[in-house]
Amino acid sequence: MVITSIDHPFDDAAPAVWTRSLVRRFGKKNAVDGLDLAVRPGEFYGLLGQNGAGKTTTIRMIVGLLRPTSGTAGIGEFDTWKSPLEVKKRIGVLPEEFNLYERLTGAELLDFTAAMHGVPKKEAVARRDDLLGMLDLEADAGKLVGDYSRGMRKKIALAAAIIARPPVLFLDEPFEGVDAVSARLIRRLLSRYTELGATIVFSSHEMHLVEQLCTRIGIMSHGKLLVEDTPEGLCRAMGVDTVEDAFIAAVGGEDAEKKTLAWFESSPA
Amino acid sequence: MVRELAGLKARLFWNGIRADRQRRIGLPLITALVAWLAWSLATGHADQLGSLAGAARGEYLAWAALITFVAWVALPVVVFPLDENLDPDQLATLPIPRPRLVAGLVAAGLISVPVIALVALVGVTVAHRPAAVLVSLPAAVVYVVMAVAGSQAFTTLMSAVFHTRRGRDLAVFLIMGIGLSSFAGYQMVRSAVAEMGVAGAALSHPLDHLWWLLPPVAPAHAVTAAWAGRWPTAISALVVAAAWTLLILVAWERVLRWMLTTPRQESAPASARRKVGFSRGRWEVPFIVARKEFRFYVRDPRQRLVWTGTVIFVGLAIAAIVVGAASFAQFRDRHWLPMIAPVLVLMVGLPIALNQFGWERNAASYLFALPARPRAVIVGKNLAAMTGLLAETLFLGCLLAWFSSSWQWMPLLLPVAIGTICCLLAVGNLVSILTPLRLPREGTDMFAQATEQGLLALVSQIVSFFVIGLLLVLPASFTVLTVKFGRVLSPWLTGAFAIGWGAFWYALSLAVAGWLLHRRVPEVVGWVQVY
Repeated sequence: MVITSIDHPFDDAAPAVWTRSLVRRFGKKNAVDGLDLAVRPGEFYGLLGQNGAGKTTTIRMIVGLLRPTSGTAGIGEFDTWKSPLEVKKRIGVLPEEFNLYERLTGAELLDFTAAMHGVPKKEAVARRDDLLGMLDLEADAGKLVGDYSRGMRKKIALAAAIIARPPVLFLDEPFEGVDAVSARLIRRLLSRYTELGATIVFSSHEMHLVEQLCTRIGIMSHGKLLVEDTPEGLCRAMGVDTVEDAFIAAVGGEDAEKKTLAWFESSPA
Repeated sequence: MVRELAGLKARLFWNGIRADRQRRIGLPLITALVAWLAWSLATGHADQLGSLAGAARGEYLAWAALITFVAWVALPVVVFPLDENLDPDQLATLPIPRPRLVAGLVAAGLISVPVIALVALVGVTVAHRPAAVLVSLPAAVVYVVMAVAGSQAFTTLMSAVFHTRRGRDLAVFLIMGIGLSSFAGYQMVRSAVAEMGVAGAALSHPLDHLWWLLPPVAPAHAVTAAWAGRWPTAISALVVAAAWTLLILVAWERVLRWMLTTPRQESAPASARRKVGFSRGRWEVPFIVARKEFRFYVRDPRQRLVWTGTVIFVGLAIAAIVVGAASFAQFRDRHWLPMIAPVLVLMVGLPIALNQFGWERNAASYLFALPARPRAVIVGKNLAAMTGLLAETLFLGCLLAWFSSSWQWMPLLLPVAIGTICCLLAVGNLVSILTPLRLPREGTDMFAQATEQGLLALVSQIVSFFVIGLLLVLPASFTVLTVKFGRVLSPWLTGAFAIGWGAFWYALSLAVAGWLLHRRVPEVVGWVQVY
């Protein structure tokens, strides 16, 4: 598939994705705690954190699916909670795998998504066929999404997220369960997408992919942004060689490495 | 292990109440309702036991045991249960021996609100003759275990059938069959009792001699024999009952084993429908949403079941006539019969209209991340519901017109139906946004998360039913004056009023609903999603 430049509507100086003093409280716990985030246009931004760090909650608030307790978030010049439609016109979201329409076929899901974004039918069909072909889903295009394997769901969700060529993409674990061949294709596609001007916010636990793809990384812990830098800058600041080591150092995982289970330290029964 | 599973169920039950405001408010209401029902059944049962004697009492008890058992087994399949069963799928990877798993699930099955009714009935039976308690008490325990195990075995079997898409399709018809048979059975019992009284009906349809063939009758027979002092018969019936219970438990264990080891996915359909696509150049959101809705009406088994509700209504009417209910047969010569079609279809439309976003399930977060105005999404959903309900009304109207040989009111049917559906959607739009229902997640046990629907929402839906009724008082009065009282009002006036009245409420509701949904998207998504 040939991608021409992305018509992103943002002033290069202004952030493409932003949050201001964003807070989300669940009961007594602050899942997101005064988060200030600014992702620049064209960035491939890796949002990292341990389970429960607040990454998904943050993304859900930015895209308008979860109301913040306080603070605000938006895309470009638009505040998600004041201009939700304008925001949604500019984003593609790779949802959790079970949040897709399970009783649409893969082809129908792409058609539906493209149509909701106002992509003309002829163009939508061409893009759909290209995406299905590229992601090796052509033969399964008529199969219901509910019958897809985990990897296939990820691929069709990614195809749905990019079919309208939105200027901002939110990808939550896009490579989970995806085969190596497709994963390489997707990596290439996403890298090219940012080269053309798109902004990608990428959440993943696969550190080698984060290191390989992201131009900037933010590490979250307990709802706060602990540190933010380029992969190289992060490694340098932490005095380590890899993003994985930098991440572990940032979230205090070194202490966890020292923990042992006394009962576990013998040969299995 | 049994204790742990029962504890797990109790904890889930308690956590559900703590975590869900709807349940916290609704559960006492539902418990009170079940307690009232249990009280009514138990006092009625005690009265019958006290007034009957000898063979009549034995036959009555046999019938009562059979009917209660069938109802207990079938009802959770026909209607969503109030209970949240443990999902065996989630326990599959744990090293629990299956006999213990089954025993634990039975114990867990006893921790639920509807069990109050079952225990009340068997309690009354045991208390009727305390002298026979040595047999009646174990017989009661065996009966309760049999009912709980039978019910769970049946729902597990249904879940196993639901594993495949084809199975789910077939199960819809099975559920409809159960519903129809239950109604036909109810009609038969009702007409027999009305004609001959309880004693006469029981004696003219003897069942007690089949005790060793019919599992739920065996414990009843043991009790009857013990009351009569026939101890050897009582004990042998008790043994047979216990053997039947064991057999049901073994069958359940087998079904569980099969279900837990059979993959859920099916192979792809033979022909990949790659050519499916949109045929218009530029799509308006309502039409896109409506088209998606139509697909789900056909493909989602539960939505399909709702939409085939008309067939159930017609089936019930036919069943009633077949079993000789004179009250239904008299409708054959009523010229206004086609005009009840909108009322019947209204019932079909309620679950769709009052919970438009609940049917989205987790995909709600997908839908609301797309660039569509909330009002356009509502209109799309309404468009689909309106089209489907109108088609059903016309179909049912034609059927009833044919049945009553009366076609004269068919032209009025359409405007009245439009007005009725508009009122339904007007209320439905607001209720769907204010108290959406959470449905069980697709692909998992549909019975496992039944209380996810939220009891407060359930109450709000009952209230909305009455609001819809209130809205329909005027158009219904106009229609009755036109149809039943010799055209006191012109059919033209009635038709125009029905459409105008419906359109007014619909427009008003749409304006408010669009505004509300614009502000409540996160809340709606949060309510309907299962994490």
